[in-house]
Amino acid sequence: MKALALSARGLRRDLRASDVRALFVALALAVAASTMIGFFLDRLDRGLTRQAGQLLGGDLVLEQSRPFAEDLRRALEEAGLTLSDQVDMVSMVSYEGAFQPASLKVVDSVYPHYGEARVDRGNGVERIASGPQPGEVWIAPRLALLLEVELGESVRVGETELTVGGLIEREPDQSAGFGNFNPRLMMHRDDMEATGLVQEGSRVEFELLAAGPVEAVDSVAPLLERLRRDGVEVRDVRRDRPGLGNALERAEKYLSLAGLAAVLLAGVAVAMATRRYVDRHLDTAALLRCFGASQRQLAQLFAWQLLWLALAASVLGAALGLAGQAALLALLTAFLPLELPPPGVLPLALGVFTAGAVLVGFAGPTLLRLKRVSALKVLRRELDPLPASAWLVVAVASLVFGGLLWLYSGDPVLAAVLLVGGLAMLGALWGIGAALLGLVLRFTARLPQGSGSDTRRALRLGGRQLARRRSASLGQLLAFAVTFFAMAMIALVRGDLLTTWQAQLPADTPNHFAINIQPDERDAFVETLEPAADDRTALYPMVRGRITAINGQPPQAAVPPESRGDNALRRELNLTWQETLPEGNRLVAGEWFDALEDDRAQAGWLSAVDAQPLTERVPISMEDGLAGRFGLTLGDTLTFTIGSQEIVGEVASLRDLDWDSFRPNFYVIFPPGVLERFGHSYITAFHLDGGDSDTVRQLARQFPGVSLLNVDAILAQVRDLLTQVTRAVELVLGFVLLAGVSVLYAALTASRPVRTHESGLLRVFGAGNRLISRVQGAEFAILGLASGVMGALLAELATAGLYVAWLDLAPRSHPWLWLTLPLGGALLIGAIGHALSRGLRRQAPAASLALLGEA
Amino acid sequence: MPILHAEGLTKEVDSGERQLTILSDLDLTVFPGESVAILGQSGAGKSTLLGLLAGLDSPSRGRLAMFGHALDQLDEDGRAALRAGRVGFVFQNFQLLPTLTALENVLLPLELTDVGDPQARARDWLGRVGLAERLDHLPKQLSGGEQQRVALARAFVTGAELVFADEPTGNLDPTTGARVIDLLFALNREAGTTLVLVTHDHALARRCGRCLRLSDGRLSAMAREEVEA
Repeated sequence: MKALALSARGLRRDLRASDVRALFVALALAVAASTMIGFFLDRLDRGLTRQAGQLLGGDLVLEQSRPFAEDLRRALEEAGLTLSDQVDMVSMVSYEGAFQPASLKVVDSVYPHYGEARVDRGNGVERIASGPQPGEVWIAPRLALLLEVELGESVRVGETELTVGGLIEREPDQSAGFGNFNPRLMMHRDDMEATGLVQEGSRVEFELLAAGPVEAVDSVAPLLERLRRDGVEVRDVRRDRPGLGNALERAEKYLSLAGLAAVLLAGVAVAMATRRYVDRHLDTAALLRCFGASQRQLAQLFAWQLLWLALAASVLGAALGLAGQAALLALLTAFLPLELPPPGVLPLALGVFTAGAVLVGFAGPTLLRLKRVSALKVLRRELDPLPASAWLVVAVASLVFGGLLWLYSGDPVLAAVLLVGGLAMLGALWGIGAALLGLVLRFTARLPQGSGSDTRRALRLGGRQLARRRSASLGQLLAFAVTFFAMAMIALVRGDLLTTWQAQLPADTPNHFAINIQPDERDAFVETLEPAADDRTALYPMVRGRITAINGQPPQAAVPPESRGDNALRRELNLTWQETLPEGNRLVAGEWFDALEDDRAQAGWLSAVDAQPLTERVPISMEDGLAGRFGLTLGDTLTFTIGSQEIVGEVASLRDLDWDSFRPNFYVIFPPGVLERFGHSYITAFHLDGGDSDTVRQLARQFPGVSLLNVDAILAQVRDLLTQVTRAVELVLGFVLLAGVSVLYAALTASRPVRTHESGLLRVFGAGNRLISRVQGAEFAILGLASGVMGALLAELATAGLYVAWLDLAPRSHPWLWLTLPLGGALLIGAIGHALSRGLRRQAPAASLALLGEA
Repeated sequence: MPILHAEGLTKEVDSGERQLTILSDLDLTVFPGESVAILGQSGAGKSTLLGLLAGLDSPSRGRLAMFGHALDQLDEDGRAALRAGRVGFVFQNFQLLPTLTALENVLLPLELTDVGDPQARARDWLGRVGLAERLDHLPKQLSGGEQQRVALARAFVTGAELVFADEPTGNLDPTTGARVIDLLFALNREAGTTLVLVTHDHALARRCGRCLRLSDGRLSAMAREEVEA
């Protein structure tokens, strides 16, 4: 048999049928959703890896506090990597008697591996793919302002004078965060020796930046592992890509979730449409059997037919997916500073594979029915093959969807948990659905017969019609409930994400940081600031201290090997003390200091500011993430060296905090009464209206030693990002809603012939258009209401689980959902159902009665 | 060699607590070129017998051979392969696929064979049944008689050696039915086909060379006068 040609011709003719159209739409939506999100995430991932290389300054960055050995350089070069040296330190820079601490970055002639600097050398901002030349420095405009130095003049750095050759607008490798408070000065490595700044005991960080192909980096993996164990900080562009920030990470998760929801909905739509497709083709199959087609030929014919359909849907879906991802990128362009690589082939292949998988998983078992049809059906119409077992349908669909979950999440355990949870939910849903349907039908059955309003009669008749085909009604109820659940869940998560993002950066989020406020300036600073600032965080004292032992052992030996190069071990930490838990911090283990008051008298750590050197352990509160990296928990001890003294802290609590909050955050917090004896300064963050430069000027004049940092630009960028991510999320939500509507369409299409037959019978018995319309409306309303209630229950449970386990959001209830979903469900199903059966209601009863099973 | 040979054909079905015998120990031999009518009351088992003879169903007992091949030696697919291109069918309810045009319906059995230029062949047969102008019409756009004529074209288009007809005039008014009968026998004659039909219509049966009565699950020959009555 020429199965290919025959199936293609068959499909062309079949395109007139509503179930084939429903199948096509569902498959196209599945492909569109998966390719759109796949394309977008793939391009984003590849773009960010490329960008990360630029931000890090190379594909591989090694950092330590002493120069790197020659044999290490040789090994890296032999592996095919190009090396660039860099030295970072903080030093005073002076000009005509003005002194200012600056963050020095000493670069060589290879710098930068990637990207360009944007520097004003007197002719406007230029893009330059190198660092400063020997004899010159490039400085941040802020440093020029503080020193009142102009381009072409010379500043003193250590023991040498260097000419200011440029003002840096942007460095190529700009990964410094808030820790780098001092303004930048870049100079050439050839001038370093003349400064005399690098001596034994100097606080200097040496960096070795390496660039090269992935294979070269991979080939030195064992060497890197050894370096990590030796306390060298190793950053690999693929492993240590700078974080996207919570907002985009959550958005990525949301997109993946929404994509899977769309695929699941499309699967349900495919399953519903396939039932009708198979019912409609039983006669064709029987006739073909009669004409001599074998079972294999039949299977081939229908399989090819659906494969053609899947292929056509894939082409349309992929085009939609490409357009969708372009729209997503357009929405996020302002955030993504680099050009992204073009779309890859993998997401397209994944999309087409998804369509095939959805077809096989959700339609396969039902399609087998066509193969089993008996030729005798041409003589005896009632000889339909038994429908596929519901268990088989669910089992195959679950297996395939589980496989897709695994494929998309890359996590088999998560996929298995979601799948088992989903199946358990489906089982529970079946029971609840049966009970709910029974309840509604009992209620409608008790409505008195023969009298009452049209509405009551319509409800009674509609309820009875549902009761007559209880099993099919229950199937529809479940499909609608799952659809409403998925639509509601994606909408709820979107709403809650937006609320969280809006709450994350309220209008009065601090846009300035003030650092280095001396204790004797503290009150005056607050007095000056208070009238102008809309909002201000507490003033946090800061003492710099280094971790010198963990649980009595050298830190490098006490932490896991992969954390030996951690910044927190190699640098001084900013330590603070607080009586109460700072705003934005959340205790995740242990107790805050005020709960430990009983211990105070014994330990004496809170007795006096100028007490004797501490010999007792003091409780400390540690940031949860750092404790995790160091493998520490409650009761572990850390020894800090502050100046020449040592303090032993015992972890009494662990805190979770939001690093994106634009507020001062601390890894380690002490209780009051311990650190006061050490030299300390204060830090605070506050919000000033955009135009209020008078206050800034007044603060700068009155407190020249205080560093003021304006983060308005960064804040605006983050707000912009949130707005764009919001739009992207809304676009994807639209796709999921479309997929949901396709399920409703497919389900109602599948049940159309039965409803038509029933309305034909009613018409024969004397029912008018109006009553039939009401009876159908009542049916839809009952189904919509019941499935809406079930969808709301599921959505509440699932979102709570998702928030806690995956999205790191606080669970919340949505009371309005219990009203809107049932009512909205009744309206939506009613509208689609009414529109679909409108033409058939006008049909003559004879035509309606003849339609069953043959349309 | 007979084209169709049944021996001791029995069909029993489960009917709740007891077994119902529809056909009992039935024998039948049909030779090429014959036209055989099987008459019987409603519920006599005519359609069941037709299904068995065409290899659409399996007997409970007995042996059946079509084109010299024992059907009990073949599985479902083997019996289907035997029918392909060699057996045609005409049904009481026409069995046209509603989404296919007249031409596409006639093309359907040709899709399973390797005949050359199926389009031309299908058009030719539709022309012979007087529907050359209605090729692109869907079944719902055709009258009952026209639909049955499409079904006739479909039955003969493959060059079938054996045609089974199940109450071919059952859904038609007498005038239309008579025209369809004329056409069926004209095509049968023209193509030299063997025809086996089941009916309760004596007018139709009279046109056949041999008439058999199906009663109490058994076949018996009918005298010409009996059919004429």
